[in-house]
Amino acid sequence: MKKIMALVLSLVMILSLAACGSGSTSTSADGGNNSTKAPATTPAATQSALAGTYKILVWTGEDAVELTKKQIEDFNKSNEYGITFEAEVNPVSEKEAADHMLIDINAGADLYCFAQDQFARLVQSNALNALGAQAAETVKAANDPVVVAAGMSGETLYAYPMTSDNGYFMYYDKSVIPDADVDSLEKLIADCEAANKYFAFELNTSAWYLASFFFGTGCVSEWTTGDDGEFISVNDTFDSEKGLIAAKGLKKLVDSPMHLSSSSADEFNNGAAIVVTGTWAFDAIKDILGDNLGATDLPSFEVDGQSYHLGSFNGCKLMGVKPQGQDTVKQAALHRLAQYLTDEARQIERFEALSWGPANLNAQKLDAVTANPGLAALLKQNVYSVPQGQIHGSWWDIAKVIADDVKAATDEAGLKKALTNYSSKISSLFTMTSDEKEAWSVIGMFNSTDGFFFTDYKDEKRSNWAEDLPMVADGEKFRTADAWEIPAGCEFKVRQGKSWDVSFPAENFKVETAGTYFIVFDPATNEITLTAK
Amino acid sequence: MSELNQAGNSKKHMGLKAKQRLSNSLVYVMLVIISIVWLIPFVCIVLQSFRMESTGRVGYVIPQVWGLGNYTRLLETNFPRWYLNTLIIALVVAILQTIIVLCMSYTLSRFRFKIRKGLMQFMLILGMFPGILGMIILYRVLDDLGLTGLHAVPGLILVSVASSGMGYYVSKGFFDTIPKSLDEAARVDGANRMQVLNKIILPLSKPIVIYTVLTGFMGPWADFVFARYISQLKPLGMNVAVGLQSWLATDTMVHDNYTLFCAGGVVVALPVAILFMCLQKYYVEGVTGGAVKG
Amino acid sequence: MAPTFLFQEHLKGRSMKKYTELEYLRLSKGKKFLYRLLSSLASIPEKLWNGIKGIGRFFAKFFLGIVHSFANLGKTFVNGDWKTKLSYFIMGFGNISRGQVLRGLLFLLFEVVFIFYMVWPQGGLYWLKMLPSLGLQGPEKGYDEILDQHILIPHDNSFRILLYGVLTIFFIVAFVYTWRANIRQNEIAEKILASGKKLKSGKQDLHSLVDDNFHKTLLALPLTGIIVFTVMPIIFMVLVAFTNYDAQHNGYTNALFSWVGLEEFRTIFSWDVGGVNYAATFGEILTWTLIWAFFATFTNYFLGIFVAMMINKKGIKIKKLWRTILVLTIAIPQFISLLYVSKMFDKNGIVNGALQSLGLTTSAIDFWGTPSLARIMVIVINIWIGIPYVMLIATGILMNIPADLYESARIDGASGWKQFTKITLPYMLFITGPYLLTSFTSNMNNFNVIYLLTGGGPTNAAASGAAGAVGHTDLLITWLFKITTQNEPKYGLASVIGILVFLVVAIISLVVYSRLPSVKNEEDFQ
Repeated sequence: MKKIMALVLSLVMILSLAACGSGSTSTSADGGNNSTKAPATTPAATQSALAGTYKILVWTGEDAVELTKKQIEDFNKSNEYGITFEAEVNPVSEKEAADHMLIDINAGADLYCFAQDQFARLVQSNALNALGAQAAETVKAANDPVVVAAGMSGETLYAYPMTSDNGYFMYYDKSVIPDADVDSLEKLIADCEAANKYFAFELNTSAWYLASFFFGTGCVSEWTTGDDGEFISVNDTFDSEKGLIAAKGLKKLVDSPMHLSSSSADEFNNGAAIVVTGTWAFDAIKDILGDNLGATDLPSFEVDGQSYHLGSFNGCKLMGVKPQGQDTVKQAALHRLAQYLTDEARQIERFEALSWGPANLNAQKLDAVTANPGLAALLKQNVYSVPQGQIHGSWWDIAKVIADDVKAATDEAGLKKALTNYSSKISSLFTMTSDEKEAWSVIGMFNSTDGFFFTDYKDEKRSNWAEDLPMVADGEKFRTADAWEIPAGCEFKVRQGKSWDVSFPAENFKVETAGTYFIVFDPATNEITLTAK
Repeated sequence: MSELNQAGNSKKHMGLKAKQRLSNSLVYVMLVIISIVWLIPFVCIVLQSFRMESTGRVGYVIPQVWGLGNYTRLLETNFPRWYLNTLIIALVVAILQTIIVLCMSYTLSRFRFKIRKGLMQFMLILGMFPGILGMIILYRVLDDLGLTGLHAVPGLILVSVASSGMGYYVSKGFFDTIPKSLDEAARVDGANRMQVLNKIILPLSKPIVIYTVLTGFMGPWADFVFARYISQLKPLGMNVAVGLQSWLATDTMVHDNYTLFCAGGVVVALPVAILFMCLQKYYVEGVTGGAVKG
Repeated sequence: MAPTFLFQEHLKGRSMKKYTELEYLRLSKGKKFLYRLLSSLASIPEKLWNGIKGIGRFFAKFFLGIVHSFANLGKTFVNGDWKTKLSYFIMGFGNISRGQVLRGLLFLLFEVVFIFYMVWPQGGLYWLKMLPSLGLQGPEKGYDEILDQHILIPHDNSFRILLYGVLTIFFIVAFVYTWRANIRQNEIAEKILASGKKLKSGKQDLHSLVDDNFHKTLLALPLTGIIVFTVMPIIFMVLVAFTNYDAQHNGYTNALFSWVGLEEFRTIFSWDVGGVNYAATFGEILTWTLIWAFFATFTNYFLGIFVAMMINKKGIKIKKLWRTILVLTIAIPQFISLLYVSKMFDKNGIVNGALQSLGLTTSAIDFWGTPSLARIMVIVINIWIGIPYVMLIATGILMNIPADLYESARIDGASGWKQFTKITLPYMLFITGPYLLTSFTSNMNNFNVIYLLTGGGPTNAAASGAAGAVGHTDLLITWLFKITTQNEPKYGLASVIGILVFLVVAIISLVVYSRLPSVKNEEDFQ
């Protein structure tokens, strides 16, 4: 029964795809990925179509493996669709899920948990299957909007919110640090130096922590993404007057001999009096410090007589479903499971077992949640925090060098240089080099019906005006690198810098007779010719 | 040889003896210092593995509470499986790699055929490419063969063995030092090429065989970058290096598993170290015999 | 054994180009050294040119050989009998009809397998056809109204097309080679039969595999392994350097990748791509890589010899124990020992703790946070890893130095130092020349030590960015690893760096290798 249904379903789907493919000649490769569509009501018949047994691979953090297994068992017993999952749950930390996922998506987990900073990469590689319209509505309504935003690219929701506790604050050893000093970075540094104890704040190897100083002075790094996870623009003000103030504050800490670039709970065992880290370290630190554990928001630092409270990232953990290709039934079943695993009751279960702060709005209001000392400190810091949103993958690599650069700087000019260096790299993620601006390319529709040997193929790259195909210099002229088989009736244009501002001819160039041609463009006359091979 | 001569000399000059004693004690002092520097990290790791009062990284070396708890805890984890995986890989690789290396080096040392020089130059050039990029592609090949994840063990064996022919230099150097006249005498007596190898050359090659087995056996214990790719993070497909490192994936896990990691490290290092010490003599002979010709 | 002073003789002989021997001998010590240095530097371009010419000659010969052999094939077809002619189409036919059934069947089997592979729907022809484009149809996105979900159906897989395309080409080359061998055999068989002799039987064929053709038997397996698991990945890697394979074009689930020609090579030699001066970054990392390789090799080498001499010194007891302690670093996997050592030198590690409690320093030394210090530290810690190897090699060689050399030196009144510089060192250098070279090149690619100790850090702001977070201790090899594993991997670029690493290593080897005295006379020892 399941197989027949699956067959029917995939048939419908393929038909709809075919309709899509033949109909559209627009410039966007949008396909049917259109979340503005009205949510379809799921007929009861399709519900039972999901019934069956599925083998799946699940990745979650090591501490959550047992709980996740239990929750999947619960789902198997309770779900209304007749779905049974045979799940293999492997420990893969949320921190590195994307690294492993992107090595080989085929071998990656069907359902996996990941920290927010990997979201953009995963969407870009199509390793996340977006939520259906109906599921998206439900999830959006139930969860903290900040966390929901973390799972969205453009207008599309790609992942299920799981926690909202991925932020950092300050743990300190009460036997060393007087409670009165916890508000001032300068006093804390002095206390640590006096006691010969370390101040652990992972500034040199992690942009996530480093951003704290810049957010503290009101700098922003906001990125906008499109529906497919592509980055459209950035508003980054790290290289500014405010940024300079942040760099000065940063220098105070990194210059201290007692600064340690680490966020590990174990540093309390190794001579640290302060560690800036998150809720996940709470149990370990409690273990080490016992009653001397203090947890509070980050301190303020002072530059030119003015005080700035350190900011932070307010991030979360998400759960994603891997696209299953043709196996749409399994994919639908997986979405049901993901939705179950991130609903209110499951989030509360996770909080009770692992102290993971829930993203669900109702769960967040529970007394037990607000009273949890780690989460309380995080909430205190949250006032100064910035929702993490979507951040370009390269940003983490570019920003993390600021601390070493600031440490090496000897004067204000050095600090400024560190920031200019940073901002030039950020802006170049979007601007083209002069070479790229001058490069000519061909874009158009070269769908062929008669292939190289015998097939009838659809050329994704050369179809639908989807991608610029580079031209190479040929004396004064430019031409395509290879001769292409171009069927009659194809249309294209030649443009410069991948922009429509400079494009020729005004009307599309039409190919009259099929053949194997080089497309040759002469910039002196703006003339396009086809040269047979 | 030179020692004997020196002894003979020193009898003639009595003053030399005192001088010698002084310089010897100086050498002893230096050797002791070197030994301490060499041993400190290992002693620390061993001491950490006996620490019972906590499981994380701590600032002191000598445990406050001693115990074997970390070692018994190892048995409750996947560690025995990782250990078995690695042991199988190490044993099979040691045997097959030795066979391949010997085939290769013996042929290149003894036979003179048309493409011999070209082949040696070609392999020299191949060896200059950084292997690390090949990992991505080898991963795909193994994945298509179904030798990843839970079946990573045969996959790892295949990759290590297949490329082991490249490491023929040392043993070829060794074979070069065995006089060719031995082969020729046997050939005159009517032995075929294979008999020459089996009856004449192999019995003389004990050091280089043991050297090759030893290096082949030791390699798999330390393989962590490629083995990690291949395991696809399935706990049962990991080797010890990947498995132990997976215990230190996050700071929280370091806090929970650090002493366990040290205990695991000791258990891994022990057989390799003991084997190496026992066979050291052959290793030296093999490597010196081979290094003469490189 | 080899003549001891050949090493020096050799050096002299090489530099006699301008000065005559007498003139050279009259030079002062410093001038002699300078002269030798300059003349060896001056010969580098010539060496390179010779190397390039050698490669050129190789290819010319290779292609001429191919042309020649195909011309011969034509002649054979015209002159051969009908059995030979038919063998052009049915491989092994000639062998079978002339009684060499075993050979013939093997040929035939190979042909059948080949043809099946090529015409299979997803077989050789398919991959070949796709190779020029690296895939035509990218992933399709759609919406499944019934189950209310998004769908994504990937089609072509650029990575797989490249992989199997390369494999297919390998297979075709192997087929053409076998086909040609099949015809050659017919030609030879015809001649043998014409002269009235008998052909070899299958049994004789098998027998020759353990005798006259024993080298083929021995090499078959190792070479197959090397071709599939070493050569093929390298060719693949080289090809990737001409594509735009990266995070945005992963070849399957987001976008196909395609051929971009020399684009990635241009990037690496550009002054400004994505705010990164790639050329300068490359130069900087290359310089450090060479400095590192030099120090890592020679500190280990001389200290290793020194330690070996100490242990071998007459009157030193328990030699075995000293050696055993040292070789522990070889026996214990580096991911355990180096990881621990790296933690020992942390700002709050036990080394700093010890230094402070002994009163040697007042505040902690940031070993890994200061660029120059981190660089010194990796070299120093590498000594800990590397000395034992040299010590083992040196131990064996030192025992082989003829004792009478020392004896006569002592009679001449040579001091211990003089004996070392005049006898021990030249002897060691002579014998271990190739070892030094290989250890230099493998140090250039010493991934483990850098990766486990510093991970490349501390970061180098000017060089970082689109090229990954490059650090001051990064070698080329760890840099290219970072480029493939960073948040936005760039495989094409990494491959280009891989090729450049190869070129650097090859140039160094080419220049040095042929100058090594012990390489020149391979046959002398036997």
